[in-house]
Amino acid sequence: MEEIVTRQNYSDKEKNEIFDSEFMPHINSMYNFGFRLTLDRDDAKDLVQDTYLKAYRFIESFQRGTNAKAWLFRILKNSFINDYRKKTKEPSKVDYQEVETYYNSEDVNRQITPDLRVESLKDMIGDEISNALNSLDVDFRTVIILCDLEGFKYEEMAKILDIPIGTVRSRLHRARNLLKEKLSEYAKSMGYKNTEL
Amino acid sequence: MTPHNPFILADGKKPTCMEMLQVIIDGEANDEQQEYFKNHMDRCLPCFKSYDLDMAIKRLLKSKCCGGEAPVDLMEQIKTQINQITPS
Repeated sequence: MEEIVTRQNYSDKEKNEIFDSEFMPHINSMYNFGFRLTLDRDDAKDLVQDTYLKAYRFIESFQRGTNAKAWLFRILKNSFINDYRKKTKEPSKVDYQEVETYYNSEDVNRQITPDLRVESLKDMIGDEISNALNSLDVDFRTVIILCDLEGFKYEEMAKILDIPIGTVRSRLHRARNLLKEKLSEYAKSMGYKNTEL
Repeated sequence: MTPHNPFILADGKKPTCMEMLQVIIDGEANDEQQEYFKNHMDRCLPCFKSYDLDMAIKRLLKSKCCGGEAPVDLMEQIKTQINQITPS
């Protein structure tokens, strides 16, 4: 799935223009992504800073007018895996074989959280949803961030994460079910009964 | 006659309700798929209920988990480092 990268030949002035007009406007989304991955504000700052420096260094691989946000997110994700995860020695906890087996089984249509209702979500005005998201393993958290928070399309997510679109779909499906389980626990603790929908 | 299911993939595999719902929720469906799912949802109670719930969760995530701003000094720090690489 490796793409052929055409190197651009930008002057320093053009580089700075691209950096300011196409890269910098995404800094809040980038910081949010960094924070949701590391769950630490200082680490998020370092990760974003590192990402922007890399983006500048490799700016000639970026074609003006193309999807800068997806390009930056891809660099940040790679920095997170190659630098941050190694540094913190956090292993990947996801068994993808298990994920694929699950997704392809008949079990997939089972209503996992029959007690979770739209009404119970309306009372989640605090940090419940944020905590539920943060509690997911990082690979599941990532697809929800990219899709639901940042609005990336499946094709863009596949490029950012270096995985096939089918895997984007299955990981997203599993991530959402896990998120619903967490939200269901919050709903129970808030006093909602396990009634059928 | 059963209408053609536009969600069927190239390998001929029939998609599950949840697979179709996900494509709809994520705005990845084309016009034909949207129309098919709208009719399907009229006949499928689990899809009807899941649609509302999944949309509500998506909206909640968007409103509660993003929108935070990067620290004010972050942009300055980045610009300073860039200027050190390429002094203007």
